[in-house]
Amino acid sequence: MQAAVPSPPQALPFPSVAWFERLAALMNANRARQEQLGFCDCVAGFAVTDGGPDGQPFVVQVTFEEFAATDVREATPAEAAQADFTVTGPLAAWRAMIESIAAGNGRPALEQTLNRLTHMGTPMHVASDDPLRRDLYFRYNQTLQEFVNASAAFATTFAR
Amino acid sequence: MRLDQCWGTDSELPEDDAPQCGARHSALVPIVIDTSLITRVLALPVGDGPPEGGLHGNRAASAPPLPQATPTTSEGVTAYVEAYEREYTGWMAVLQRNAERLARGQYSLHWLDMAQGHWGRRARPSSRGLTYTDTNNVKGFGEIPERADWLNFTPRGAVREPYRAEMPVIDEYTQVDRPGLWADNVITLYEEAKARQWNATRDIPWHELAPLPEDLEKATCQLCTVLTQVEFVAGDFPAKWMYRIPQDFLEVKSFLATQIMDEARHQEVFRKRAIAGGGLMHAGVGQEWALKAILESPTHTMGTFLLNLLGEGLVLSIFRSGEMIAKTHVDKDIFRRCLQDEARHVSYGVMEFKYWLDQHPDREQAIAQMHRFADVGELIILSSFTEPVMVEPIAILLGGGLDKIDYGMEGMAKLWTMAIDEYLQRCERAGFPRRARCRIPLDAPWASSGAVPATA
Repeated sequence: MQAAVPSPPQALPFPSVAWFERLAALMNANRARQEQLGFCDCVAGFAVTDGGPDGQPFVVQVTFEEFAATDVREATPAEAAQADFTVTGPLAAWRAMIESIAAGNGRPALEQTLNRLTHMGTPMHVASDDPLRRDLYFRYNQTLQEFVNASAAFATTFAR
Repeated sequence: MRLDQCWGTDSELPEDDAPQCGARHSALVPIVIDTSLITRVLALPVGDGPPEGGLHGNRAASAPPLPQATPTTSEGVTAYVEAYEREYTGWMAVLQRNAERLARGQYSLHWLDMAQGHWGRRARPSSRGLTYTDTNNVKGFGEIPERADWLNFTPRGAVREPYRAEMPVIDEYTQVDRPGLWADNVITLYEEAKARQWNATRDIPWHELAPLPEDLEKATCQLCTVLTQVEFVAGDFPAKWMYRIPQDFLEVKSFLATQIMDEARHQEVFRKRAIAGGGLMHAGVGQEWALKAILESPTHTMGTFLLNLLGEGLVLSIFRSGEMIAKTHVDKDIFRRCLQDEARHVSYGVMEFKYWLDQHPDREQAIAQMHRFADVGELIILSSFTEPVMVEPIAILLGGGLDKIDYGMEGMAKLWTMAIDEYLQRCERAGFPRRARCRIPLDAPWASSGAVPATA
């Protein structure tokens, strides 16, 4: 994925591939920050358990390599194992987090960070079939947090 | 009960007050600690406090006096001088030869002859720079021996064989076998560690730190005090072994150096956080026993199992909990940064253990040996993770205040189960089936229900 200067703010629906592609573009446009944070090498899944049509799951997998997000693609739940880990939660939890990030201009409230939301297994959890691959979520947690924090740079719409 | 009374030690509290501390402040039924369960599980005597004369097994009570300042240097210098003048005389011949050549105005230039070396194949950087993997891909430089027989500082891949007979041996290089050191992810972890370093002085938004309510501030500072106490063992342990590792395992030595740096930074950041919040508070006794047991582990693999896989795995859970319960963005940042580092150390611990098991000539015997070690190691580590100076501050932060400590303990019980389950998953990932024999209860000792853990 080429680094590109993000286009002017434009509302994007969540969840959608386009929403995550915007995050990837924002990350890639700020390589200097990524070089400060360090390498990030993993395939991260982001699942909204009721984010698809008719309340079905919606899953996106983002490939991070070195200092960039190199691929964003929608995945079926059956393809979950292709990700090193998948951050999973209902739309309401995702929405609260994204709105908190927006309200904080890129810094979520204390109770709305990725680790905060996933650590106890509710309202979100981190799924992986391999403890070593799950640990990548922790090894790159600051990068992943800043990845979603970038959503403050554009407006997000929600179907519900 | 006044707040400051609750901060006293058990012995300072009126007998009737101590167990009511939670009940006074909460509508919940007070947590009843089933000490008989703990006693059964741990198979250790439980009393009201340290027996007269000190804790059982505590060396401090009968320890010899601390050494005086650095021993008189004249004896040490005399021994050193005599050794290098009379015993290790190889350097004299080298010096004489070199001096005579230089006096004659002659050059050697033997080093230009690379007939016995690996000259001319240039390492090429990958997209992320020139990594150890890139240089190891060059023929002659990436062959990592199963057993190192170069017990000196000569670089792997250099022309060194012609000089072997004249070179000294470093007696301290005793970790000569690759199993027991190596992990298949060690190069990745080393490069990642360098790339993800951070600075506890400048990368934390210290200027945003504002005082918390007293109970939360004290809980935060107490937790940070204990974390300051425990962090440096994860520097001291690799340091203890690093100097025993020959240079041919340069990737392992390099990674251990990053772990030492990481732990220095963790000790630094937690110390700074405590002092910025009011001060360092109480040191933990159980922590000291756990740290001593780690440091004195009989082998590098055993110590790495106890430190990286078990101990740091549990500390990783505490860091994640710390991020979760942080009451300021400063604390969030501290714990999030630290948990990243800790996860690297855990990852090394799992894969180092796996490599050792996979390469062991008698895997069954190796596993039996590790079970025996873990039977004790787990309990000693547990002495740290049951200390009130660690458990109670987390419970207060988790609950949201001293008056909600009972809620916090309920949450702690869930975190306990998660952390121990993750430990067992990591054991299984390494090829060590520990679940049926684990000495740490899967359910927290104060949980209202749960199976009695298997005991060996």
